[in-house]
Amino acid sequence: MSSAVRVKAVYNHLDCMLTGVDRLKRAGYTGFTVQAPLPRHEIEEIMYEGRPSPVRWWTMTGAIIGLTAGWGITSLTHSTWPMINPGGKPTVAPVPFAVIMFEATILVGALFTGLGMIVHAGLPSYFIDRSLRDPRMTDGSFGITFTRASSAQQEAIVELLSKTGAVEVTTGDDTFYEVPNDRV
Amino acid sequence: MAHVEVIDPNDPGKPNRPDTYGETNRDILRVLLKPSVGYMLGVLLAFTGMVIGGWSWYQQITWGMGVAGITHPTMWGVYIVTFVFWVGIGHAGTLISAILYLVRSKWRTGVYRASEAMTVFAVMTALLFPVLHLGRCWQAYWFFPYPNQRQLWLNFKSPLMWDVFAISTYFTVSVVFFYVGLIPDIAAFRDHSRGLVRKFYGVLALGWRGTHRQWYHYMAAYGFFAAFAAPLVLSVHSVVSWDFAMAPTPGWHSTIFPPYFVAGAIFSGCAMVISLLMPMSYLFDWHKYVNTWHYENLAKMCMLTSGILTYAYGMEYFVSWYSQNPYEQNIFLWRATPTAAYGWAFYLMVFCNCIAPLAWYSKKLRTNHISLFIVAAIVNVGMWFERFNIIVSSLAHNFDPATWWYYWPSYIEWGVLIGSTGWFFFWFLLFAKSFPAIALTEIKEMVEPPVKGSV
Repeated sequence: MSSAVRVKAVYNHLDCMLTGVDRLKRAGYTGFTVQAPLPRHEIEEIMYEGRPSPVRWWTMTGAIIGLTAGWGITSLTHSTWPMINPGGKPTVAPVPFAVIMFEATILVGALFTGLGMIVHAGLPSYFIDRSLRDPRMTDGSFGITFTRASSAQQEAIVELLSKTGAVEVTTGDDTFYEVPNDRV
Repeated sequence: MAHVEVIDPNDPGKPNRPDTYGETNRDILRVLLKPSVGYMLGVLLAFTGMVIGGWSWYQQITWGMGVAGITHPTMWGVYIVTFVFWVGIGHAGTLISAILYLVRSKWRTGVYRASEAMTVFAVMTALLFPVLHLGRCWQAYWFFPYPNQRQLWLNFKSPLMWDVFAISTYFTVSVVFFYVGLIPDIAAFRDHSRGLVRKFYGVLALGWRGTHRQWYHYMAAYGFFAAFAAPLVLSVHSVVSWDFAMAPTPGWHSTIFPPYFVAGAIFSGCAMVISLLMPMSYLFDWHKYVNTWHYENLAKMCMLTSGILTYAYGMEYFVSWYSQNPYEQNIFLWRATPTAAYGWAFYLMVFCNCIAPLAWYSKKLRTNHISLFIVAAIVNVGMWFERFNIIVSSLAHNFDPATWWYYWPSYIEWGVLIGSTGWFFFWFLLFAKSFPAIALTEIKEMVEPPVKGSV
């Protein structure tokens, strides 16, 4: 039985990294992580092939809950004292309540969107694999990392990535990047 | 080789861009270096303002609302004027960050983070005022619905309650949108710092590592946040305007108020962005990222909204004449009478909001930093007086001549106004020194990506 190993390739060029991802996918590899200092739609396209993020369902669920809650809180609380109708409006008055319903839709929808992002993006990720905690990835470099590649595949992955213009291909504990002491 | 699309490579008229992603990080990270004397003086000045405001509020809590100048019939004075002013200032941030994001406006990149911060701190400032105005500020939780023994609930048919919900929602959504936008940039700050500072940024960055999974869901969520925030920009000040327009008070009861208030809010907000960013870009040397191109676009927004405001001011007079309503006609005539109690405030408002911005129709003045700064400051003064003119003059000159009264703010109210300005600038200055006030990630999107060309 083969054990799991880490393999990491660091790139200074976007096209090289994309070529690396493309070749890995063509060779049938999965389970690798791509890192970038900015969002690039090319990465999204190659990794997710145009599939929309499920965050949208969170947004819609939140908006529906907000709308319902807005309607509920206004009509139920006013129905508690149905004999008091300020401004001569009916007890359950759709027009003035529409403002509260609108605000509740936006509020709960936005909060659910944030929640959806946190769940699907795996945040907070304070304990993410150490090989991915590389400060170069928030600076100007791109990375492809296997946090659990099979040791049988290690050599083939290293060879493949080395031929795609990576400036550094490391394995095992060498994938851990030490922050230089000259930072601000 | 995989295809790489270059985003916006050599568009003319843009500010100088950094050559690499790393250069962007280094430029923006310079704010973490030792603060300059100018910055420290700014913080000291803002803090002094806060102390004056705190002392004034303390006096009001100790001696009661009598120390504030508000009295019958002018029960809404400087506190509500300043509340509406700061809510208005808070508008431009979300307009720039959300609406301009959805329409893919290119000039927003350099200015949107600072504008968003301005929004959050301006709404934080605005939220102080309903509490101040309550007098018994410890009862502020009565604003919100909470379960209670006698089942006494809020009146959701009241525009004042709509306002509570509108502003709370706007603040919450703005903070979430602002924070989500900051996460990748705080991660860059974390990776360039050490010790406790690194731990601080590390916690706030939520362990962000720029993985494809994180970016994918982040970008989807960001788009939805922008879509949610965009209608909020238009709705919040509309709801604020209904605080007035729903009342039968002469000078307030007008259907033109929502668009009029929204235009005014965007006008004052964009002017405040100029007033804030210009000294900041000199202080932190951000000229590569924020420069005349951005200021000129902000000035154009001000010119448009100033035109809308001027039209609205004129239309109010037309409607009062056309309505044949003597109370409406009287209040508008009285406001514009130079010798009347607040005639000076009316003409100051017209000068600041309608005449001064005309200077920006000259490209030379629109692209001159001194002229931009001066006119933006004039607009901010004018927009405070616009609210003063609407709120105070209508209440002081209501239906019954027997109740007419002259209101002038007390020194406590002036102290609170100074305090609110200090409070706003204090938070903004702290933010600009500790966090990326220029959006690192989006600036990187403007940089030509590093491409080798052959693999």
